[in-house]
Amino acid sequence: MWQSNKRGERAFRHGQEAFSLAAAQARTCHKFCPDVEDEWVTDEERSCYNCLLRRWTVTSFLCMATI
Amino acid sequence: MMKILVCIDDTDNLESRGTGDLATELAEELEKRGWGRSRFVTRHQLLVHPDVPYTSHNSSMCFEADIDSCFLQPLIDYAGEYLERESASGSDPGLCVTVLERLAEPEAMVAFGRSAKEVVLNKQMAYDLAAKLGVHLSEHGGTGQGVVGALAGVGLRMSGNDGRMKGWLNICTDNGLARVGEILAQSSLHGVRTMDGEVLGHEEVIAIADKPKAVLVDGGTYLMVSPVDNADGVRWRTTPRQQLKRF
Repeated sequence: MWQSNKRGERAFRHGQEAFSLAAAQARTCHKFCPDVEDEWVTDEERSCYNCLLRRWTVTSFLCMATI
Repeated sequence: MMKILVCIDDTDNLESRGTGDLATELAEELEKRGWGRSRFVTRHQLLVHPDVPYTSHNSSMCFEADIDSCFLQPLIDYAGEYLERESASGSDPGLCVTVLERLAEPEAMVAFGRSAKEVVLNKQMAYDLAAKLGVHLSEHGGTGQGVVGALAGVGLRMSGNDGRMKGWLNICTDNGLARVGEILAQSSLHGVRTMDGEVLGHEEVIAIADKPKAVLVDGGTYLMVSPVDNADGVRWRTTPRQQLKRF
């Protein structure tokens, strides 16, 4: 699901349109925190794609939560 | 009265309120002070790139207002002070205020906005264009990098084909369904439109999802819908957010 980049950050391996995977991941994450609604990109609120702690990259996002 | 666009960018961090909330408060304060009337706030997505500093998504927030010309400078002063006071620690806020009827080359503004979605722009480019066009552009803390997104946001709002309205539409439904005419009666939308560009008639029935978003298309605000095969004969549903990314 994740891979580390050169700076040791966790990058989501499945890009920006793996909606089911991002939702499944968020359901099990204790650090999930919804971003403001204007920044949601999927209707399913509990998704890594809607999380305040995701930082978009060109192809995917980084998870900024300290796990 | 003069029509203006106000845009702010880069005011937040991971712990703070979003830039959209600050734009909304500015728009409300403008009315509270009797300076004029403000309209809805739109969110504009800018380029996500390793060379562009941003908190988590790189978007700017813009609203339109009609104000008396004598309140232009007080508004600029207030907005700048407000950003300095309310922006989050570590942010780099920028403010753009554009008087539309004084704008020398509107197309240059729109082009700048579109460029900001595709290539890396810098502060000097933004200041150069603002000076050339007679647009107010100022920075209010940090590196001031937010001036790029603030100027770009105005250009994108002017284009009439970019951005999502802040917040969501509150539409009363009958078991999740509403006719287009009922949707329009409950909102300030210009219409309900398919992703292919067809504007639907008032009798069409729409299945409304939770927290539906409106977008800016062809200069108007529209609720976007997509076809659905439904045994109840409902032909349309609100387009899922994941398909609204291009706005």
